[in-house]
Amino acid sequence: MLPYIARRLVFAIPTLLAVSIIAFIIIQLPPGDYLTTLMADWASQGGAVEAGTVAAMRERYGLDQPMYFQYYKWMAGILLHGDFGISFELGKPVTELIWSRLGFSLMLSLLTLCFVWAVAIPIGILSAVRQYSISDYTVTFLAFFFLAVPDFLMALGAMYVMSVWFGQSVGGLFSPEYVDAGWSFGKLLDLANHVWLPVIVIGLGSLAALVRIMRANLLDELSKPYVTTARAKGISEFELLIRYPVRLALNPLISTIGWILPAVISGEIIVSVVMSLPTTGPLLLRALLAQDMYLAGSLILLISVLTIIGTLISDILLAMTDPRIRLT
Amino acid sequence: MGYQRKLRGLVVSTGLMGIFISGLAGVSFAQDYHQAPVLEEQVKAGKLPAVTERLPEHPFVETMVDGVGKYGGTLRTTILANGDQYNLTRTIANELLVRWDPKWSKVEPSLAEKFTASDDATTYTFTLRKGLKWSDGQPFTVDDIMFWYEDVFMNPALSPAKNPTFTVAGKPVKVRKVDEDTVEFKFDAPYGLFLQQLAYGQGHLPVIYPKHYLSQFHEKYNKDGIPALLKANPAAGDWVALFNSKISLTFQPAYWQNLDLPTMNPWVLTVPYADGERVAAKRNPYYWKVDSAGNQLPYIDNVTWAKLDDPQLMALKMTSGEFDFAFRHINNATFKSVLFDGQESGKYRFVDVKDLPANDAAILLNLNSTDPVKKKVFQNKDFRIALSRAINRQEIIDLVYVGQGAPAQVAVQPEHELFNEKEATQYTEYDPAAANAELDKLMPKKDGEGFRLDETGKRFTINFMVADVFGLSYPDVMQMVQQYAKDVGIDIQIRTTDRARLNTMWSANEQDAYIWNCVGGLSEVYTDPRCYMPFQKADIFFAVRWAEWYANPATGEEPPENIKALMAAYDKVNASVTDDDRKARMKEFLSLSADNFLNIGISRPMPKYMMVSKRLKNVVDGIPITGNLWHPAPTLSQWYFDTAK
Repeated sequence: MLPYIARRLVFAIPTLLAVSIIAFIIIQLPPGDYLTTLMADWASQGGAVEAGTVAAMRERYGLDQPMYFQYYKWMAGILLHGDFGISFELGKPVTELIWSRLGFSLMLSLLTLCFVWAVAIPIGILSAVRQYSISDYTVTFLAFFFLAVPDFLMALGAMYVMSVWFGQSVGGLFSPEYVDAGWSFGKLLDLANHVWLPVIVIGLGSLAALVRIMRANLLDELSKPYVTTARAKGISEFELLIRYPVRLALNPLISTIGWILPAVISGEIIVSVVMSLPTTGPLLLRALLAQDMYLAGSLILLISVLTIIGTLISDILLAMTDPRIRLT
Repeated sequence: MGYQRKLRGLVVSTGLMGIFISGLAGVSFAQDYHQAPVLEEQVKAGKLPAVTERLPEHPFVETMVDGVGKYGGTLRTTILANGDQYNLTRTIANELLVRWDPKWSKVEPSLAEKFTASDDATTYTFTLRKGLKWSDGQPFTVDDIMFWYEDVFMNPALSPAKNPTFTVAGKPVKVRKVDEDTVEFKFDAPYGLFLQQLAYGQGHLPVIYPKHYLSQFHEKYNKDGIPALLKANPAAGDWVALFNSKISLTFQPAYWQNLDLPTMNPWVLTVPYADGERVAAKRNPYYWKVDSAGNQLPYIDNVTWAKLDDPQLMALKMTSGEFDFAFRHINNATFKSVLFDGQESGKYRFVDVKDLPANDAAILLNLNSTDPVKKKVFQNKDFRIALSRAINRQEIIDLVYVGQGAPAQVAVQPEHELFNEKEATQYTEYDPAAANAELDKLMPKKDGEGFRLDETGKRFTINFMVADVFGLSYPDVMQMVQQYAKDVGIDIQIRTTDRARLNTMWSANEQDAYIWNCVGGLSEVYTDPRCYMPFQKADIFFAVRWAEWYANPATGEEPPENIKALMAAYDKVNASVTDDDRKARMKEFLSLSADNFLNIGISRPMPKYMMVSKRLKNVVDGIPITGNLWHPAPTLSQWYFDTAK
């Protein structure tokens, strides 16, 4: 087991390096740079863009240097000092910006995961056990419906309903009076009051998919001989179900745990933008749009690192449950 | 009324007389200035000097729209989460030496109490109000302006290129301190438009640099202390970066991230425009304006901006009554019906905004194209006229702009004194037959598909860059134009792109043509004729090489005589001193520009709107806004909530 993990870790290093280079190149591929955006805004406010000023600012931000040198500077900063660079637009160290938003991202991801599993697994079981019944058809219909509706549309619809019919303040994770307040019981309550809407909106899509997976897996198991044997031995239907087929059907779900980590950073960007959530998604989108190079680069690097770690965790979990994998 | 009379008395009498009279009356005359209750408490607690000491000797007396207001309240508005810094500028900044009156008809004193222009339009003197103070209570004096001039504007590291507002014929202004309250701006060549320029937003430079605060970050004043400051600030590598992180010219993001920066604005920031979920500002206790009853402005205590990532959410929150005011991002045709229906639940009303550019969609053919064949065609005025006549403008307006607009060229708006019917509507009638006849003369040969051939015998194709910006549906407009052009045998290929790519293309002079909106619909045309002639390099690029030549004849490409004549006509506008002369010259210039017919306009814009709470009073209706006229600030300082105490 240990050599297996060690081998995987060694492979991760060149992967990371390659990813960081590709990320940096991709960020620089679109024409223009951060100053192009800034100067366009300036021009629209009646300003004239002076070539000298732009050149001086480009030099100031180090944008006049060749790409490989910029990459070297960025990487050296990360490896030697843990310094991911400065966000041009927000004038703050990148690490500070990411950390301040990572908490909410993580919270949202975990809550969504809990919600999805808590709802999808029972429904999936029900739908498999009562195959082709009214409830199965209803659940199947709803599952396909929510799978088909784009989540940003669902976000807009949900916010409209909550705002117009129920008069709730939507968007963000807090009411205006709590936004700048320190943590208190009231703020926690306010958070709970707001967080369920994005959780449901983000969760519904994957929930639908999970219901279908659960149903299909379970149906495969239900017809296997060991189920018939167990039933013949007189075990109660419910106990039988939970003890054997459901446990096996859950296996594919466990291997998806690895995907959760990168999704913490990049997941549901559009929903977060539409609902103005203080997560890393909108930060990444804006950094890419404004060509805020070091912020975008660091976020993409972070996503890559988390993807690699996530895959590693999945592999280890699989190796633990299935000895055959360790041998290859 | 009584207050007004006493106030006038205060203005004419000396300060000593004032104290004497008030002594007799048994009431302190100083109390004729009033302040907000929150400040009253701070004065009583000894945290703040009395209101008379905070105000200048002669405060700016604001003309009220509805009348004297009431103190208190928080103005709730909204801002895009990123890149929307000019929203802040247009809400709480825009305090200048001289300002445009809210109707945009004349330049009036602001921070300067008086100003004079020399007869040759080269020398301008400004007398500051005595006793002006920055928002931290330190005096605002001529020395601050000199600090900007000597240590920022003339410093090659901080200002590698000189801002064109303060430059004439390539030479920067000379600023001189005359005495403690008087400063003189002197130019080498006549610059009759200087006062107008200074009254626009971009004229803010001399008055945003507080010397007492910023000199600590300047090499000249604090050479020894800077290394320690740099160490504490990881984002800055040298003193220039440090200085630029504390204040930013043109109100770029850094300006709104520094809470320590003293300003002359009605509200000062308390929560920066950075990574939080909102932005907030509170009243400036040293603000230098009063109403006619001597109440210190602003009336409203606080301003808060909810930071949102998406305009859809802005509209939703507006209709659910979470904002008192919004004017950007949701004031276009897309949102109008939703916002109109939401007036009841959102408790707001619509206020007209005269945001009237010269054209909403102008076709800019590159007259300096690097392709010699295309250049020759584009430079042919008859070709441009034929293309203009081939376009069915009314159909575009009906289908794309839901009827909001009128067929027009790039021209001044009908409501303005410079309006000329012929200039606005020449060649706008839809006449494909005439267009075809004209093109048959220019490019008679066609290929098998009916497209015209250029002189080398190849199909003449215009690669048209189209970016979907300003909510003006340019891709839809261009698809229609493409069809009209095809009807007369011109091949237009649409290249959809984004703004950043377009920016790099036009900077490198790589585009054949693109579509953009054109400034210059109202008085800004005097100072910003970029759509009427090859002018500054910003946004409008139909003849960038000629524009370069105009800025500096050593660069660019020498234009033909007709363009030189047009440039000379504008130079005459700039050299004129009196308003009447300037207007006459401008009319000549505009007429000459129309004769040259440099670009093809499609639709004349209609007024836009903003939303304000039904409780808000003193809101200027029909306020003009343009790119360089940064309204509605500073008129917000007189807004008040009718229910506030």
